[in-house]
This record gives sequence, structure tokens and C-alpha cells, in this order.
Amino acid sequence: MKDNQVIVSLEGVTKFYRSNSHKSTGVKDINLKVGKGELLLLLGPSGSGKTTLLTLITGLLEPTSGKVYLYSKNISEIKAKDLQQLRAEKVGFIFQTFLLIDSLTAIQNIELVLRFAKLKKKYIRTRASDLLNQFGLEKLAFKSSASLSQGEKQRVAVARAIANDADLILADEPTASLETKQGMMVIELLHDYARKRNKCVIVASHDLRLKDYADRIIYLQDGEIIEAYPELNIDNID
Amino acid sequence: MYSFVIIKSQPVRLSLTIGAVALCIIMMLFLLGIYKGVADGSVEYIKKNNADLWVLQKNCTNILRGTSLLSSWQGNLIMEDPGVESVSPVLFLLSSVKNGKNHSTIFLTGYNPENRYGGPPALVKGRNIKNGSEIVLDIAFALKSGFRINDSLTIQDETFKVVGFSKGTNAFVIQYAFTTIDKTRSLIGFPGLTTCYIVKLKDGVNRESVKRDLMKNISGSTVYTQEEFLSNNIHEMQSGFLPVLYAVASLGAVVLTVILSLILSISILEKKKDFAVMKTLGASAEFLSSLVVKQAVLIILAAGAAAIILYYPIVFGIHSLSPEVSTANTFLQVLFVMLVAICMGLLSSFIAIQRIRKIYALEVFYER
Repeated sequence: MKDNQVIVSLEGVTKFYRSNSHKSTGVKDINLKVGKGELLLLLGPSGSGKTTLLTLITGLLEPTSGKVYLYSKNISEIKAKDLQQLRAEKVGFIFQTFLLIDSLTAIQNIELVLRFAKLKKKYIRTRASDLLNQFGLEKLAFKSSASLSQGEKQRVAVARAIANDADLILADEPTASLETKQGMMVIELLHDYARKRNKCVIVASHDLRLKDYADRIIYLQDGEIIEAYPELNIDNID
Repeated sequence: MYSFVIIKSQPVRLSLTIGAVALCIIMMLFLLGIYKGVADGSVEYIKKNNADLWVLQKNCTNILRGTSLLSSWQGNLIMEDPGVESVSPVLFLLSSVKNGKNHSTIFLTGYNPENRYGGPPALVKGRNIKNGSEIVLDIAFALKSGFRINDSLTIQDETFKVVGFSKGTNAFVIQYAFTTIDKTRSLIGFPGLTTCYIVKLKDGVNRESVKRDLMKNISGSTVYTQEEFLSNNIHEMQSGFLPVLYAVASLGAVVLTVILSLILSISILEKKKDFAVMKTLGASAEFLSSLVVKQAVLIILAAGAAAIILYYPIVFGIHSLSPEVSTANTFLQVLFVMLVAICMGLLSSFIAIQRIRKIYALEVFYER
């Protein structure tokens, strides 16, 4: 992988959690590079460190040791305000429970992230409408997101994640709350986004059905990478 | 957009909050209105008399909360000054009025009805007194005590016929009543006793010069110009009354702040997940704070509008029950109260915003 293609890079990243003198491992000695046009699937059972890895990548969690690079910048050296703006402009999120803002309509949920990305007001409504059309949700645009079905909510969530034309999408168990057909539709959308738009998508899941859509799979257990597929040696990914 | 959505999502709570904040604003408006009403009412008598000089007993500065006892010889000496045109004696007496079985207190003002000075500033009904068996009552006192024109009342076993009602004679805690100075003196039992002399000067006479002469020649007295005397009385009224009103009005502002910060904090806690999601998605601290500030301002504006709409009917109701409570509100007062309410709203939102800091973006990843 060429350096200018790399979006996320982790070097010897370890995260320990401490509570009441008890130390537990979040992730241990993770080395990883993820680049444009790639859908990386983080597989592993609950508590294996998938979510910890996602939060470390976004800078929401600081590693105990090691370095996390986002766009070649060490995120521990980025000011909190700049990191927040970087997330608003370059990163999209998809959550297991969708986490739409229930009191807002579908279109307002999308508009909100476009505001965070500081896009022009005029462009915000057009962009949000286009995305809803693209996902076949135009009739639901002004419906409260609380009244949408699970599948509709996740489609709005995907539309929200890509609204700012994010270079990096982080999806945490995006299919866990969906039926098989809806789940596959979501992963197809993310796969297309990575491939056709040359973006980087990292999906954390324990759903093995997603493996067919992944360009690369990393299996985590107890916070450690125990298997990387297809390449076991991540340095040979080029 | 979102701030409006948040507050309208709980309509009952929103209505109660607006109602509570509106009541705080009404209370502040009412207290300031009372202050203005009392301020005007207390000194209207002095203003309307428009004397050139006021002569009182030495060391007495005002008639609202001071004792001044002068004799008629001092009045005669004042009259001897070549610059003086007229001297009008006035005697103030705190008197108990008997109306059937009820007793109430008035500030009985004895003056010479043949003279223009010392009498009621303005009449709203009836006529002025002609002799010592007649009395003019303050309108608020008359309404409160149920007196009508031609009714009779008793002061120290003397019967008076009510012939008129005056305005500008309500000092909130006490109201003025007017009869002749001779009758007032006979009630207290000291002929020639006077509280103060209202002095009018001849045209073109130097007021300061006459003031100096009177101070020098009339022992045991002090002389004030109209402006000085008015200022003394306003100061006396303000120093005794204003701090209490300000303390209660401040309490209203504090209650407003507490209510609003509590409601905003609850709202933030209820929307904790939404705030965490927005933090994760890259919402700036300014954006999140602005949501709370906008909610506070929206509530204050709605409460302010409700307060202004409700204020006058409420005041009308209070006046009907207690006519002596006189209020006077100016546009500037309303503006001032609204500004205070907005400032308190901003303070409330600042307090509530501290809650947002304790919401971590990370929480959303563990939301299952």
C-alpha cells in the first residue's frame, strides 16, 4: 500500500483499562494500516477489542502506548478541537443501534452532520435530499426518525455517515440489529462506497456472513490480532 | 432547529417552565412597579406644592420619616423677611380613623384651605374642604376602607364629613388625609404647633439669599429649597424601602435562574445519548452550548411575552383587592426586567452547559 493511500495507521498500539486496581486489556500491540478503496472487517467475539480499536482510531480514546495516525498525523498531537473538526469533515460513523436523533426527522439527522462539517447552508438541504433519494428514502425525509423501521433507520444512518463524503467510515456492528436481507444490503452499500468512491471502511462485527464483502479480515481475540486474512503479514499488503 | 425540537418535545414541562419563569418576571415587574408607584406617590405632595422654601425644625430633613415641631412665632418671623410673599403652616399628624368597628391610620395633614399651599395635590372626586368638620381622603385609602363622599368618620372623638378624594397622596404604607390646620392642632392639643412652613418668595428675589437669612434669624429651624427637600424625601423613601424591594426582586431573579438551570440540566440529561452522538459525529463545543443557550432564550422570550400579557390583568386584580398598592411601570422598567431575565437565562444555560462536559462521546460505542 502506498503511503499516500493510507488513511489509518496503528503502530504498536496497546490499551489497558484500569478500574479499582484491576487492569484489563483492551487491545495489545496492534500494528495495522488501512487505506483507500478498502473494506476492512474486524471480526471477533464480544470483548475482543473491536470497539476499543474503533475508538482508538477516532481519537476518542487514547492508547496506553503506541501511536495512531490519521492521515499521517499522530492523533495524540492533534488538538481536541481540530480532532473534532477532523471527525466532522473526514469520518463517518455507523452504530449497531443506529443512534439517530429521534426527535429529528430523517433529513434533519443528515443535515446535522453537514452542519458539523461546516458546509454551506444552501448546499446542506440539497445534499441531504440527494442522499435520501439515493437510498430510496425520499418519502421518509420529513418523518420523525423514531417512527422509521429498523432497516430504514440503518439506511438513514448510512446516508448520514457518508453525507460529508467521509474518507473513513467506522461501522460498529452495523448489521447486528437487522434482518439478514437488510444487513446484506447495508454491507453492500458500504462495500460499494469503499470500492467505487475509493474510500476506507472499517467494520467491526462478529457476523461471519460479512466476510464475503471484506477486502481484508482481521480476527481479534482478547485484544490481540490472532489472524489476518488474506494476508497474514500486514506489511505485505501492497 | 434542534434546540426548538428539544423544548417542544415536552409540552407540559415547557408550559410549566414558561409559567414559572413568567411568574418570576411578573414579580420583578410588580416590585419595580410598586417602587415607582410609591416613589411617585410619596413625593407627589411635595412636588405639587412647588414651594420656594421649606422650613422645618433643625436637623429634620424630611416629612416621611422625621419629626419636626415648630411654633407660630417662627412663622411670624419668616413672614417678616422682606423677600417672603406668603408663609403656609402645615401640621402632619399620624391619626387613627374610626370607621364603625374598624380602625386605620392616616397621615392627617392640617393646612389653611384659604391658602394655595399644603393641601391635596389633586382631587379625583368631590371638592376641597371648607372648614374643620370636613376631610379629604386619599382615594386608595377611601377605596380600601369603604368610604364614600358624604360619609362620616371619627378621629379622636371628632367627626368629619368626607367631601373629596385626592390622588398623588398614597405613600403605600400610609395615605394622606386633609383638614384644616386649626382642627389638626386642636386634635393634638397644642395651638400654634406646626410641622413645617411652606414659603413662597416674591418675584425676582434671590432664593439662596433668603434661605441664608432665615437660617440665621430663626433659631431652631432649618431651611431647604424645593429641590433639596424633594431630594431629601426621595432619598429617605429609597433608603428605607428600596433595599427591601431590590432584595425580593433579586430573589425572583435567583428563583428564575434556579428553575431554568434545573430544567435545562434535566433536558440535557434526558438527551444525554443525543449529545454523545453529536460529540462523536464532530459537533463543536460551541454548537452544543448554543443548543442550550437557544433553549434558554426561547423560554425567556416566551415567558417574557406571557408575563407582559398577564401582568396588567394581575395588577388590576391586586388593585381591586388592595387599592393602596399603587404601581407605575415604565417602558424602561419592562426593558430592564427583560434584560435581567435574559441575563439570568444566559447564566442558567451556562450552569446547565457544565453538564455537557460530563457527557463522553465514547458512551455511544457502548450503547447496545
